[in-house]
Amino acid sequence: MTAEHDRLEEARQQQVPWKKWGPYLSERQWGTVREDYSESGDAWNYFTHDQARSRAYRWGEDGLAGLSDDKQRLCFALALWNGRDPILKERLFGLTNSESNHGEDVKEYYFYLDSTPTHSYMKYLYKYPQAAFPYDDLVQTSRQRGRKELEYELLDTGVFDEDRYFDVFVEYAKDSPEDVLIQITVHNRGPEAADVHLLPTLWFRNEWSWRGVNERPQLRDVSTTAAQRVVEAVDRQLGECYLYCAGDAELLFTENETNTERIFGVPNHTPYVKDAFHNYLVHGRVDAVNPARQGTKAAAHYRLTVPAGGSQTVRLRLSEVAPKTVGGNGQEGPVFGPAFEATLAARRKDADEFYAQVIPAAMSADASLVVRQAMAGLMWTKQFYHYDVDKWLEERGSDPFKSNRKAAPRNDHWHHMYNGDIISMPDKWEYPWYAAWDLAFHVVGLTLVDPDFGKQQLSLMLRERYMHPNGQIPAYEWNFGDVNPPVHAWATIFTYRLQQVKQGSGDREWLKSSFQKLLLNFTWWVNRKDRSGRNVFEGGFLGLDNIGVFDRSAPLPTGGYLEQADGTAWMALFCQNMLEMAAELAMTDPDYADMALKFSEHFLWIASSMAHLGGDTGMWDEEDGFFYDVLRLPDGRSQRLKVRSMVGLLPFCAVTVFDGVLLTMYPELAARLHWFLETRPEVTASIHDPTILGCRGRRLGSILDEHKLRRVLEKMLDENEFLSDFGIRSLSKFHAAHPFVMQVGGQEYRVDYLPAESDSGMFGGNSNWRGPVWIPVNFLIVRALLQYYIYYGNDFTIECPTGSGRQMNLYQVAEEIARRLGSIFLKDADGHRPVFGGAEKFQNDPHWRDCVLFYEYFHGDNGAGLGASHQTGWTGAVARLMHFFSSTTADQALALGKKAAVVEIEPDADTSPFVESKS
Amino acid sequence: MKHLSHGRYQKVTIYVDRISQQWIVRDSEGSFWTVPATTNAWEQRQPFSPSQGVELEPVPGHYRYLLGLPS
Repeated sequence: MTAEHDRLEEARQQQVPWKKWGPYLSERQWGTVREDYSESGDAWNYFTHDQARSRAYRWGEDGLAGLSDDKQRLCFALALWNGRDPILKERLFGLTNSESNHGEDVKEYYFYLDSTPTHSYMKYLYKYPQAAFPYDDLVQTSRQRGRKELEYELLDTGVFDEDRYFDVFVEYAKDSPEDVLIQITVHNRGPEAADVHLLPTLWFRNEWSWRGVNERPQLRDVSTTAAQRVVEAVDRQLGECYLYCAGDAELLFTENETNTERIFGVPNHTPYVKDAFHNYLVHGRVDAVNPARQGTKAAAHYRLTVPAGGSQTVRLRLSEVAPKTVGGNGQEGPVFGPAFEATLAARRKDADEFYAQVIPAAMSADASLVVRQAMAGLMWTKQFYHYDVDKWLEERGSDPFKSNRKAAPRNDHWHHMYNGDIISMPDKWEYPWYAAWDLAFHVVGLTLVDPDFGKQQLSLMLRERYMHPNGQIPAYEWNFGDVNPPVHAWATIFTYRLQQVKQGSGDREWLKSSFQKLLLNFTWWVNRKDRSGRNVFEGGFLGLDNIGVFDRSAPLPTGGYLEQADGTAWMALFCQNMLEMAAELAMTDPDYADMALKFSEHFLWIASSMAHLGGDTGMWDEEDGFFYDVLRLPDGRSQRLKVRSMVGLLPFCAVTVFDGVLLTMYPELAARLHWFLETRPEVTASIHDPTILGCRGRRLGSILDEHKLRRVLEKMLDENEFLSDFGIRSLSKFHAAHPFVMQVGGQEYRVDYLPAESDSGMFGGNSNWRGPVWIPVNFLIVRALLQYYIYYGNDFTIECPTGSGRQMNLYQVAEEIARRLGSIFLKDADGHRPVFGGAEKFQNDPHWRDCVLFYEYFHGDNGAGLGASHQTGWTGAVARLMHFFSSTTADQALALGKKAAVVEIEPDADTSPFVESKS
Repeated sequence: MKHLSHGRYQKVTIYVDRISQQWIVRDSEGSFWTVPATTNAWEQRQPFSPSQGVELEPVPGHYRYLLGLPS
């Protein structure tokens, strides 16, 4: 156990508030649905970046490298000014959905370098240009670019030429749960000395203005010496705390109130408003700040001159310890000095020791760096997410209980929702709102370092404040009622098994309560998305945005409806997950045995429908050896939409191995299952026969029998189809030369292979499932291969890549795909990381090349990062794959079965792709 | 001129008139008032008659506390 493990244990067992302070500040609150009160629901243009410095937020806060308490009452973040920018840099800048040629995109360089799970140590890097930030150039040039062109990036503007920029490192280290040391180090990478203004800023989230309470929290100057400034923060609920600022900084105060004069054209109630520091510094307006040295927003103003190639450091401390007692024994003592340095060094060491236990010792140094930064990204991407939908509807004049109500532009039926929690975000700039299916993949990564947080996240989505009374899990704030793939149950059983192996026993009560709620969700799916009652499912876009030839969430131009291969496959997997949970719970509670049988049979019905329903127009195409969506037309005709995409690979992923213990324990259950199988032979005629025992007596729940499995693998492992050097593509490269084209009503609909960005505006145009590699679905593919492997064993081999003449067992195939995925982030033989693509600065500069970015998806041919640049959320799942193949072997997998995923051993360096070669 | 309908708790609707630089409030009975940018603003309200051509821009309901309006 390391000191950080002790802290995690104290947080869990004794509720010591080690996680009270964390990186819970968003990187973008403007342009969100929560802050949008427009009639049309145009969130991006209602509350803009330009307004953000002047307009108080209603639901949350944002800032650079920020920190807040877990209710986000008090916030801390960094503001900067280089003396040339037209505005104070208080938050990250990016283009809105309509401004960029490929949808919203942050135009800044910032990196999550480190974090422990209790945030006892955190490190962040922001790269701040010394020249004026090219706001207008970014907007204007991007607007002129078409969808077939690349995005215009900040590096392209030339603002980093000659290395005229600052590297601003922000480190946090906790001396105790409520005593946070802050060190900001500014390096000048340029050829000449340069000035920079640093404004570490402390402020209260504005709750008072929106509640009609007279009482408000307060910040005030309580400094007693010029050598050290102190801001006292007092809040009725938070108590008292202090921001100590080393050195003779100038303290500035204002109110976190809207500048109504600038935003609404109406005189301000108070002369001291949110953008006071901007006006004070950039426009020299001395009267903008409160001379009484009090308010709800405060900053310590440091003006630094940083020599060329040199650095300057600023230290602060956010602490509950009052100045008079900071030295202990009721004495005023040093806040900074050697003790500060010692604590900072100790927390850095704690972080190293913690990750030395998390990351397998055998892993190569470069792979370790990637895994640690993936974990840092997951930790830094936590956010306080606040959204009272009922209140929000009320404030925009929509009353859900009035028959003649004015409907809100979205979320009208979700008025039961109250969210006010720390949630793992996909990306705190591009997607600063939770997304249900993303979250399941976040948990896969998060549980490497903090299983408690992972469990809590899964529970949260099932709580009555989140889940709809009808059983639907909320998708995301743009439309909670959208339908995401049902992967919550999969993440739940994964997390349960993890704890079961790690701690000797699983949390059965948690599993039980999750099962009950998931049962509601399962029933919602069955009743809402199986139109014909034949166990064939729809679901719309199901998270795969533009993958289909039509927008699958909209009425089809042909009329009729789609029977979706992915929707049906997801439900087959959901059934397997519920069966696993019920079987586990039935080990101690016979009431669940019946449910296990129910889900066994339900899975078989779904699998059977998928494999053979509809004869010539079923989802399985024997000629192609692939699954397709089926279009059912109003006149009764039907046809397969022969787009070779991830949609058709998902049935391959609906596979789970079972040990058969349940049937041994409950013989009458076994008898009922056998009766079902004997009297309904048609059910298993076209799918894998679950009565055939595999390695070590294991059973397999699978839609694909061995014949179909080989046919699908043939396509998936073909480098001319799905297998790229960097994982499995979302669309087969076959469509580069053979686009899928369909004529409907005189209009052409087509799907081409597009390995990079989307060429259409479908689903906002900021993502692309027509070629790029996406980590989460690749994760499921690797999982599936391992399931097949521990059933079929070493005797089942397949050519990989197809046509190469190399035969591999399915463990080796899984490992090969994981190697290709990992290679996106790892240095190649030339020292280049494919993720950085053609960005020379990232590839070659020592101050850039080891700052890894976990993009949303990756170029299908060269692995370059695309889409959101900080989507460590689900892309962080790659760390779990790298970890697995650095701590497991094929023999171990075969021996332990599913437990191999969490039992760590040292693998052979000659075979594992992420292990340092000893030779 | 756009109107916000009344919510469950919302007794008033807030607008801003950018030409005259004033807050405009429509109360629960449909009467319009100008409200100054001061404390006790509601108590200092003055009747307002929206003339033809006046563009009133809706303001989110949560600003009612900032203006000291009755809830």
